[in-house]
Parts: sequence; structure tokens; C-alpha cells
Amino acid sequence: MSGANPDECGTECQEALDRLERYLDGELPGTSLEEVKEHLTACYPCTDRASFEEQLRAIVRRDCVESAPTALLTRIREHLSGLQTGN
Amino acid sequence: MSDVPAPEIGDGRQADGTILRQELSEHERQQQFEDQVLPHLDRLYSAALRYTRNGADAEDLVQETVTKAFRSFHQYRPGTNLKAWLYRVLHTTYISMYRKAQRRPQEDLQETLDDYSFYDEIARSGGRSAEREVLESLTADEVKQALADLPDTFREAVYLADVEGFPYKEIAEIMDTPVGTVMSRLHRGRKQLQKALSGYARARGLIDEEVDA
Repeated sequence: MSGANPDECGTECQEALDRLERYLDGELPGTSLEEVKEHLTACYPCTDRASFEEQLRAIVRRDCVESAPTALLTRIREHLSGLQTGN
Repeated sequence: MSDVPAPEIGDGRQADGTILRQELSEHERQQQFEDQVLPHLDRLYSAALRYTRNGADAEDLVQETVTKAFRSFHQYRPGTNLKAWLYRVLHTTYISMYRKAQRRPQEDLQETLDDYSFYDEIARSGGRSAEREVLESLTADEVKQALADLPDTFREAVYLADVEGFPYKEIAEIMDTPVGTVMSRLHRGRKQLQKALSGYARARGLIDEEVDA
């Protein structure tokens, strides 16, 4: 994990940042989740880093989604009808 | 399934009350399939385009995926996650159609970027832009290209997690790989993506030339 800057952050930050990726993925189990949440409530630098990572994911989500061409839908419907009649 | 008319109660019911698919007419079966699966078409195409990085291949991949899904729809268990099932079919179809034909850098040959952080790089560069401004300035084409340049398995894992929001366990099932491998691919893929994006940001002067600390 991208560590905290050791000059600024203590072990508590380091522990939170080590778990940040799984935290943002919604994959931390109960106790661990509470610890990270609690740390983020109190630590501005870590919160800032977490929201940067979140924003980056949001950008990937926004920019990497497309609509299927309408011709593809038509083609698939016709293809399925063809399969159904045993072709 | 609420949009499908309630079928007649007859001998077609299994003990648990569900309808045996064989009892449906071919037309009903196709209709049921289309009603459930075609609403996912945009997302499947979107994923296929990221996997294949080419519009024509993506269309072929989606058509083949939907065809396979139609043929094996009896294996889908109603009530389970249809979207995850479709992505599993997409994955196996993609592998059989494209990946074996490709010569892409293998993931174990990738530069290790475990300690890389885009956030730190922006902060360190002392450029004019704040972290968030740098992110907002990246264009959709740059983000797509950065994702496209990842090795196949990294790209797919990052797409499934960050765009589709699948949990690790479902990504593991879709990609037929252990959860630990999913986590490692995600971690390394995201680092590599960030590194590529920082390259675009630097090329456009959003952050200053790299100065090693």
C-alpha cells in the first residue's frame, strides 16, 4: 500500500493506510472496519488520501462505461430467434 | 421477474414451485431470456470493449457471450446473481476467443509499483494543481488508455471492482482464481493505472517533472 509519509504519520496512520484499499473496496471485516473508520474520522491527512483514492475510482467508473450500439441489440435478437428455430 | 406473466399452475411445477424451463415453449424461453439478460447488454458491451480494446471485437464477444448464455441458461439458478453469472460467461468466452491468441506482457513481468502513490507524487511535485484538480483534468480518453495498457488480468480485475463494484469473492468466481490473486491483481493493477495517469498529467504540465525524493 502507498504508505503514509513516515515523517508526518505514526503507526496508527500506517495501520489504517495498509488497510485502506480493502476499506474502500468494502472488504474489511467488522473490528478492522471500525478501527479504520475511527481513524479516518480523526485524521485529516489520511481522510484526504482516502478521498483521493475514492475520487480516482469514481473517475474510472465514469469514464470507462459505454452504451452498446443499437445495431448490436438488433443483431443479437435476430441471432437468438435464429437459434430458436434450430439454425 | 415480476414483469413476466405468472405461468399456469400445472405439471410444469417443481416441488419448490418453480417452473421447469423445459415446459416453456421455445418462444417463451427466448422471451424470458431476453427480458432478463438484455437489460445487461450495455454493461456487457462496456466490459467487452475494455477487455478487447476494439469495438468490432467487443461486439463479436458480446454476441458470442449472449449466445452461450442462451444455450446454457438452464444452468443459471434463478435467484442467484444473474449479472455475476453473465460476467462469468463473458470471461470464459473472452479467454477462448481472444486471450490465447494474444501476446500481452505477463503480469509477473510487470514492474513492481507496490509503493507507488499518485497522491504522494502530486503532493511532492509542488506543481500548481491540487490533487483533486489533477484528477479532474484527466480526460476520459486518457483514463481509458491507462486502463487499456494494463495487462489483461489486471485490467479485468480493476474493471470488475472499480467499474462494476463486484466484491472480491465474486471477482474470484468470475475469473476462476483465488481471492488472494484477485487482491494482488487489483492492487498492482491500480498502482500501474495511477502511474500511467501520472504520466499523462506530467505530459500536460499538471504536475512537475518527476523529482526523486
